[in-house]
Amino acid sequence: MLKNIKYGLAAGAVSVVMALPGLAFAKTLTVAVQENIVGLDPADVNETLSHSAARTIYQGLFGLDGQMKIYPILAEKFEVNDASTEYTFYLRKGVKFHDGTDFNAEAAKINIERVANPENRLKRNSLVSMVNKVEIIDTYTIKLVLKEPFGALVNNLAHAGAVMISPAALKQYGKEISRHPVGTGPFKFKNWNGDVMEVVKNENYWKPGLPKVDGVIFRTVPESGARLAMLKTGEAQVVVPLPTEMVRQIENDKTLSVINEPSIVEWFASMNTKKKPFDNVKVRQALNYAVNKEAFCKVVFNGFCTPSDSVLPSIMQYHVKQEVYTYDAKKAKELLAEAGYPDGFDAEIVAGNNTAAGRAIQFLQQQFAQVGVKLKVQQLESGVLSSKVWSAQTPEEATVQMMYGGWSASTGDTDWALRPLFWGKGFPPKLFNAAYYMNPKVDEALEAAVGTADNNKRAELYAIVQKEIQQDAPWIFLGVDRNLAGKAKNLEGFVLMADRGFQLDEVEFK
Amino acid sequence: MLQYLIKRIIGIIPVLLVISVVVFGFVRLLPGDPARIAAGPDAAPSDVELVRQDLGLDQPVISQYFRFMAGAFQGDFGRSIRTKRPVSEEIGSRFMPTLWLTVFAMAWSTVIGLLIGVVSAVRRNKWPDYLGMTVAVSGISMPAFWVGLMLMSFFSVRLGWLPTSGYGTWQHYIMPSFTLGLGVAAVMARFTRSAFIEIFREDYIRTARAKGVPSQGIIWKHTLRNALIPVITMLGLQFGFLLGGSIVVESVFSWPGIGRYLIDSVSYRDYPAIQALILMLSLEFILINLIVDVLYAVANPEIRYK
Repeated sequence: MLKNIKYGLAAGAVSVVMALPGLAFAKTLTVAVQENIVGLDPADVNETLSHSAARTIYQGLFGLDGQMKIYPILAEKFEVNDASTEYTFYLRKGVKFHDGTDFNAEAAKINIERVANPENRLKRNSLVSMVNKVEIIDTYTIKLVLKEPFGALVNNLAHAGAVMISPAALKQYGKEISRHPVGTGPFKFKNWNGDVMEVVKNENYWKPGLPKVDGVIFRTVPESGARLAMLKTGEAQVVVPLPTEMVRQIENDKTLSVINEPSIVEWFASMNTKKKPFDNVKVRQALNYAVNKEAFCKVVFNGFCTPSDSVLPSIMQYHVKQEVYTYDAKKAKELLAEAGYPDGFDAEIVAGNNTAAGRAIQFLQQQFAQVGVKLKVQQLESGVLSSKVWSAQTPEEATVQMMYGGWSASTGDTDWALRPLFWGKGFPPKLFNAAYYMNPKVDEALEAAVGTADNNKRAELYAIVQKEIQQDAPWIFLGVDRNLAGKAKNLEGFVLMADRGFQLDEVEFK
Repeated sequence: MLQYLIKRIIGIIPVLLVISVVVFGFVRLLPGDPARIAAGPDAAPSDVELVRQDLGLDQPVISQYFRFMAGAFQGDFGRSIRTKRPVSEEIGSRFMPTLWLTVFAMAWSTVIGLLIGVVSAVRRNKWPDYLGMTVAVSGISMPAFWVGLMLMSFFSVRLGWLPTSGYGTWQHYIMPSFTLGLGVAAVMARFTRSAFIEIFREDYIRTARAKGVPSQGIIWKHTLRNALIPVITMLGLQFGFLLGGSIVVESVFSWPGIGRYLIDSVSYRDYPAIQALILMLSLEFILINLIVDVLYAVANPEIRYK
């Protein structure tokens, strides 16, 4: 224990140097974030923030831009066979890891096999678990042979969990790679202690002219008021996330500006379609009519939100705008009467215990009351909520009638935005179909779409899925919120991503 | 006295053993599955299973406990579920910031609180008393997060004198230790005042007054020593609480301390971290109690332990 305390002291001394205020004149960027970075082995963490921090150091074969569109990074192009079982990747030449070793087919093979091997027990194993073997064609070409057809492989490879780590470093550090990251990215790892992580410019970065700052410091500041204060004093040049109620304060400051980008988080209230009265589609449609989505966006997200027009957020690939349930309390009452509930009924909804979720379910309670439905609201601590919702082993065991929540597909792929939630074979605890929704047409389309890499075919199939789900209404479709961050006005090139992550590759001070 | 100390220190061991069983059992009774939380909100079921095996949570609870205790005896409290670093390292790096913050907050608040209390008691129902107690009541009633943010917006944003938050230089200590000590100072002041007033009523004080001891001597010699007993008890308790880390102050000033770590660990169901933290906090309280008992004897030589 004593040794550890000494270690703590030494670490404290290091952070003295890093925490000096007023570094604005140096070209080091300080980003104030809400959460703690938990690990820098991207294949073994799930937090968006940890992935964003890791992305300054590591790169994958592919990446996702702000709109979650795929672009090639360490792979230049790829080919796939018609059966979607064999992918060939042509790798970028002349890229070196921070330790000076070469990035090549051998390195890519080692990395993909590391994540794919279940014995390594990495949290992101499922990204590449369908890979049967990795063949080296030549020094800069590899072929992935899959166990079964899988159409979204390139999406999965673009996820931060599938980045390329120096094989030499993996060998040297083993599981401790999380504390000694070595990648090919624009910044090199310098230091990470508790609340502060620092990376410095990679002088030998393969993209000429980048990066344009000397380094980046990530500082964890849990209180949003304190984050805003740091932005105002110049101690930080970016704060992310930015609570909606603070947008006005930043707009009023001439040296600061707000970044306001669409997200891929769809907010919904799911209804257990196996339980009365929600087994009746008219009831579910009635409740969709009963809720004013514009008002929802104003109440819950201070207007930084768009009413949803499909079960897929609008910037997701294959999104098709649907005929929405425009707010109509009269129609809702008629539908309820047709369904045999002219006087409404009692129901219960559960949600997480944050402020926005509280506002959301109270809003629903108020809206439901207008059509005679008495809604009991219950906010639960996240661990309690997750065990209440997801631990039922069979549909009969499920106790939750309605749940309020949000979903974002971390791979940016449409499959992961729909299949976990609406697939008839994806009831909890297997996947996240808390509506216990089952529609053979949807199941068939979801299964066919995940088995092909053909974009046109996938678009067709996902159009069917969206239409069916919209009609069956297993959810009350509420809205898609905006991602907000605050930054110094002279900072450019900061990319806020739709999944709430961010990219710093091209940041610069003007 | 020495014999008494040795007896007390040996007595700590069974207490900690009982606490270890209770804590180990209780964290596992918390609803929520650490493997699911660690794997992430949208993890595939196969990933959750891998995480469960990785954490050893697929083993029977009894064998998990014995593994935990076997490690604990060697100072190894396992690895954090969240960061996968040894828990002892995680706690080690957060212990000193919390300890120093506690020491500074306690130091200023004890001195100021004691002074306000004594002055209020001596000038009871006169303006210094009213002023002192008004300050004390405000100190108790102002929420720490509000005080913290107000200080920040004034001294950091407006004046630019102090860093808004974080940990490092001596400037970083000023606002957090002031905010943290505010409540303690207020409680100290009220406590000291009532302890003094009570003792002023005692016969021996009347006797001292009657035989002509100067009033300074009565306050500092006859009253203070006796009044210190309840005050020391209170100080010990406050110190123990503050060592557990203040969640509010640590969050507002992004202080890398124990309080935030405990809350994060609980919401993440980080079993090894929660177990080690509760054991450590219990040990701290036991030790502080022991020190308080020893201090009684120092303050009042009439108290002797056997």
